[in-house]
Amino acid sequence: MKQLTPHELEQFLSHLAVRYELRLPILLADGTRTIGSPDDGSVVLHGGAVPGKPTAAFFPQQDTIFTASQGTFSQTLPPVKPLCILGFTPADLHCLRFIDRFFGDGMRDDLYFRLRQGAVVAGITGYCGVRGALLPPAGGNCDFELFWSGENWLVRAYGATGAELVAELPNQATPKEEELFTQALATAPDSGAILLQTASQLLRTNRVPDSFWEEIGERCIACTGCNVTCPTCTCFGVLDWRSATKVERSRTWDSCQLDGFMREASGHNPLGSAALRSRRRIHHKLAADPLKWGEISCFRCGRCDATCPTGIGIMAVAQELVARFG
Amino acid sequence: MKRTLTVCPYCGTGCMFYLVSDNGRLVGVEPSSSHPVSRGGLCVKGWNAFAFVHHPERLTTPLIRKNGTLEPASWDEALDLVVARLTQIQRQHGADSVMFASSAKATNEENYLLMKLARAVFQTNNIDHCARLCHSSTVTGLAETFGSGAMTNTISCIDETDVIFVIGSNTTEQHPLIGSRIMNAVRSGTRLIVADNRRIRLARQADLHLRHTNGSDVPLLCGMMHVIIAEGLADTKFITTRTENYAALAESVADWTPERSAAETGLEAADIIAAARLYAGAERAMIFYSMGITQHSHGVDNVRCVASLAMLTGNIGRPGTGVNPLRGQNNVQGGCDMGALPDLYSGYQKVSDPENRQKFATAWRVPALPASPGLPLTRAMDAASEGKLFALFVMGENPLISDPDQHHARRALENLELLVVQDIFLTETAALAHVVLPAACYAEKEGTFTNTERRVQHLCKAVEPPGEAKTDGEIICAMAKKAGYDGMSYASQSEVMAEIASLTPSYGGISYDRLAPHGMPWPCPTPEHPGTPILHHEQFTRGRGHFSPVSHSLPREQTDADYPLVLTTGRTYFHWHTGTMTRRTHLLDREEPTSFLELHPDDAARLSIRHRDRLLVTSRRGSIQTEARVTTMVIPGVVFMPFHFAEGAANCLTNNVLDPESSIPEFKVCAVRLEKLP
Repeated sequence: MKQLTPHELEQFLSHLAVRYELRLPILLADGTRTIGSPDDGSVVLHGGAVPGKPTAAFFPQQDTIFTASQGTFSQTLPPVKPLCILGFTPADLHCLRFIDRFFGDGMRDDLYFRLRQGAVVAGITGYCGVRGALLPPAGGNCDFELFWSGENWLVRAYGATGAELVAELPNQATPKEEELFTQALATAPDSGAILLQTASQLLRTNRVPDSFWEEIGERCIACTGCNVTCPTCTCFGVLDWRSATKVERSRTWDSCQLDGFMREASGHNPLGSAALRSRRRIHHKLAADPLKWGEISCFRCGRCDATCPTGIGIMAVAQELVARFG
Repeated sequence: MKRTLTVCPYCGTGCMFYLVSDNGRLVGVEPSSSHPVSRGGLCVKGWNAFAFVHHPERLTTPLIRKNGTLEPASWDEALDLVVARLTQIQRQHGADSVMFASSAKATNEENYLLMKLARAVFQTNNIDHCARLCHSSTVTGLAETFGSGAMTNTISCIDETDVIFVIGSNTTEQHPLIGSRIMNAVRSGTRLIVADNRRIRLARQADLHLRHTNGSDVPLLCGMMHVIIAEGLADTKFITTRTENYAALAESVADWTPERSAAETGLEAADIIAAARLYAGAERAMIFYSMGITQHSHGVDNVRCVASLAMLTGNIGRPGTGVNPLRGQNNVQGGCDMGALPDLYSGYQKVSDPENRQKFATAWRVPALPASPGLPLTRAMDAASEGKLFALFVMGENPLISDPDQHHARRALENLELLVVQDIFLTETAALAHVVLPAACYAEKEGTFTNTERRVQHLCKAVEPPGEAKTDGEIICAMAKKAGYDGMSYASQSEVMAEIASLTPSYGGISYDRLAPHGMPWPCPTPEHPGTPILHHEQFTRGRGHFSPVSHSLPREQTDADYPLVLTTGRTYFHWHTGTMTRRTHLLDREEPTSFLELHPDDAARLSIRHRDRLLVTSRRGSIQTEARVTTMVIPGVVFMPFHFAEGAANCLTNNVLDPESSIPEFKVCAVRLEKLP
């Protein structure tokens, strides 16, 4: 494992920026954090997950699929330099692993892999969460991770690309700091994971009555924030813009919290109430995905709970559900 | 990727977000996580606010009607024509033969500039905007009672109040981040009263839901005040020390026993008593209201009653209290503040006052300014339909869909010798114009918007306008120059704000360098002043709060055998007004793709109408086709329609009858009949 002082990290990032289009957590004008270019704000690696969906780096809110114009057909090209994204928390890296599998399964999503293929992903872990809270080591799911020990960034590579990138870093981590990393790696899973497992079990054994979803649905204002901030939400809608000279087809994030998401051409909607849509949102992550993918697809990043104006993000709902029916 | 912190263009809540752009194209939205109102959240319109900006139907070049067809023209050609025709019409018919419609979608600076163009360059006070259709009764009613026609408290006051009384506001749909905050407060123990006969989301979570009949707000509020006085729940100290004319109010509500109030409203007397006790018994209570109060032929009287109720219980001037009219448009507060009104300069300074006229004339370097108030927008449409108004310049409004009685509106617009429309899309109104001017949208310009809590916020430019489109401000200033006026050349929008501040006491201390990151609330009279979150703290803006007694009048159109149902109109969560932007936003248009009419299952059964049947809806003004939505959202005898849709336009049916004081139309009540279409 390598070690970097904060100043050496800056140099390392500059080095990476030669080969890659670098994006990492930055602070915007009003204190909002996001993953962006270091030219667009001061770099702030501390503070935990950024509020926006980090997987937007590869699956943006709106993306052009193709443009057809007067006999020509064009698609957006991959970036000149591949992306290098820092700022994924351990939970975010699980999300990325999950959607990598989703977009690669069966019909490979070429739009996603246009940006994802060849990209370098680095996790940010260690004692750099909100107010210095520990973000447990990722232990994989990325090319390398940067673990904040409190004084230095420890750098651990995974896979060939990661190993190549960190190979030339001169300083090895001290045994004491390596020990800190090892100890953090052994941290027990948080109570949130157990909560979601319990909620998942309740859903899969049909122990949550419809009346519960009626209550949750009453509180849903259909802002769609839960979906648009969720790193494992991958639904999109496709639209064509036609003008006299061209057709532009693009896709944009969709939301299962909208009536139109499942409405049939006849007008009938199998998810025609907020209660059914709220149930679907939670059920999909906690009950349907475990069947299809073998794991719950919520990794407790906290974004839907943070953005929901009425407090019905997945963790809040799971808590309520387990408290009442567990 | 570039991120630009700016203000949402939809409702008056004033959420701020970052527009995400890549190579000059918007690709998404990220909410501001530190904004005091949005706090990291947005509604569905906010999350999709980028999606219409590059739509292929954006206007990209000026258009001039030639041989009945709108054809592309140069800016010089278009503006020369507009100025020449306006001048010619004024020469022929007088200065007040032309009218300027400003826009609550445009910035403060642009509203100020259009107001200045109308008054200083074209020498008419015929300037107004769509506040006439939404909160003109608030401006009139609260100016009379409090001295200031704006929300008295802040949105964050919701977190510290004990009782919230929502009347005539579907807050979760029309101001979603405010409605959410109310929902959260209720979950934390705040008591909620909702007076609205639609079973809106807030009503379903209320301690008390009062489904009073349409247009019976005065009997309801007077009944509540009667109970408060009769049961000794009034705040006598507040009344004595802070208000005037209490005796007249007490006399006026003396006859409004709960039983009489119940008879007029269709409520139970016990519910009126319970509402009065709950509201008056709170240490801190807030009132929120919106179009359900204002859009009546007696809208000003409704507002007066709301103001009296708050003063009667001392719920003014403290955190967690207040009278809080929720302003609809992103900048309708600012449009009013900037004097885009026929009788007021910026800062609500009356044009009828010679000192004000002298002050503005001196600053604008013109010999004189017109003295008599101009036409309210609704009266201007009447004048046009009668052939008494000859030219209308419309900036960012779509009256053909938004004004009452569409046949009347069409007749008015088609009667004009000159109709100029400045907009971002070819709206239904623009399609009738003689000249169309392509404007930049909110994402393509700088300026300020003032939200419903009077917070002046900085709008920043994220991308370039399409084609040859220009900002509203650029177009207005170019017109002034073409008209030979040299007092409207500005190097930047901040210079315009400096001029506004120099002439507008409540904005006196506002400048762009003070607005980062999330703005400040007026009144802010000096550069050192921190802004004023809560109005009327120690005294009312007018000195003492004035109780204004009212008499009860019914909606002007009543149901009868031919038109047996009450139609009330409004908006839906997913669309904005006439749909110019939201109907070109994929997810929003998909969500509510068509016009619809809500009716109660009892009415549906009686008329053999099923859910999603096609209907013919007829009022005394006209007929439209729409789709039935059978629901208990409405009470028997009342049907509801949104007015967003040009096909199945609710405003083909509504009644162009105006409140005599504010000239607001009675959008909330007219009589219709339904027929099922084969």
